[in-house]
Amino acid sequence: MERFRDELRWPRLVLVSRVLVQPAIGATEDVCYRPEPVTRSRPASSSLRAEALAHADALFRLAYHLTGNQADAEDLVQDTYARAFGASSRFEEGSNLRAWLFRILRNVHIDHYRRARSSPLSGSFDDEDEAAAALPQELLRDDQELERLRSVVAEDIEAALLTLSPDARTVVLLELEGLTESELASVLGCAVGTVKSRLQRARQALRLRLKDYAR
Amino acid sequence: MDPQDQALSAALARLARRPAPDGLKRALAERWLEPRRFGAGRVARGMAAVLAGAALATAVLFGWREHTASQGLFAEAVNDHLRLLYAERPIEIESGGVHQVKPWFAGRVDFAPALGFGGDDEFPLQGGAVALFLDRKAAAFEFKRRLHPITLFVFRAEGLPWPAAGRPLGPTQAAFATQRGFHVVLWRRGDLGYALVSDVDEKELTTLGSKLAAER
Repeated sequence: MERFRDELRWPRLVLVSRVLVQPAIGATEDVCYRPEPVTRSRPASSSLRAEALAHADALFRLAYHLTGNQADAEDLVQDTYARAFGASSRFEEGSNLRAWLFRILRNVHIDHYRRARSSPLSGSFDDEDEAAAALPQELLRDDQELERLRSVVAEDIEAALLTLSPDARTVVLLELEGLTESELASVLGCAVGTVKSRLQRARQALRLRLKDYAR
Repeated sequence: MDPQDQALSAALARLARRPAPDGLKRALAERWLEPRRFGAGRVARGMAAVLAGAALATAVLFGWREHTASQGLFAEAVNDHLRLLYAERPIEIESGGVHQVKPWFAGRVDFAPALGFGGDDEFPLQGGAVALFLDRKAAAFEFKRRLHPITLFVFRAEGLPWPAAGRPLGPTQAAFATQRGFHVVLWRRGDLGYALVSDVDEKELTTLGSKLAAER
């Protein structure tokens, strides 16, 4: 019955087009992507808006690391709230508002990227996956690496993060924001198991990148 | 987690926690929190706004100095939190539970820090240390939320320019602020002051604050 109601709410044509259009970022078979369904817009309640705006700092931080600059990050946050409040009827009271907002931000970012193919964002998650997997594990466990990791400064980490794919960056940054694995799964539209492996690969890739930045 | 992975987590924790720019926050608030309405009572509302503005200006003139001083408490809380984290030994007494940490302060500070909460799986108590808050000694309790350290300073509140309470926190009222990406909650109980500081999500910090402020 629930599914029947959903189908009534989502025009069939929109559903078909959503299935056909694959995301440009990380366009692989196991890509994590869950677009928010298109619905009739209903104004968001003022309490929901106030609660959602309390997450502006966290959203901005992710947006900044995804876009690499303040102006684009601000646009991304603005668009995220516009989309969230336009589709607030899809938000279930009592569910995780923060994870929902992060998911919308990620999807808006993917849409922006599709529109501006000239963006410097590149590479799928699997590029890092292969690079990190190819790295001999001993290299990731030696004392030298430990020293290097201890000596990197914030600017180095920011620069190294920017070399990761958007998906890898997202998973690392959201973990840093304190999201649990199930919250991450909800943001990325993946199974928890997939999130765990992606997080591990992303962190390995970051350690690999940081080798170039450590002083 | 191997040492290198731990070092990576520590390195990531050094990443600047940029708050959203004030301009963006203002724009969001104007767009989503303050819908403009025009109608028959527009003139009356305009006059009320002028009067409110005049009252506000007066309050600002007389209150700005006090406000600046009270805002200093938030900055002090953030600085002390960072000072504690950067210290060689941020925790002087490892936690074996609040009943081990609280008595440790006896003789080290000249008050008994009253807490409504001693830590659980969600917010485990890591330990405690003696710290300085402005000109006085403070009992610092270190909690954790996942990877985020959370510091609670308890100190004598007497003579401090306490900010106006903003929102309820458990059974009491508290003042909230965000400075340099850190959220700070300040409240009082009797003659003791409490400052809770962390970069953890504000809602989660408020949850912990409510537990700590609860009467026991």
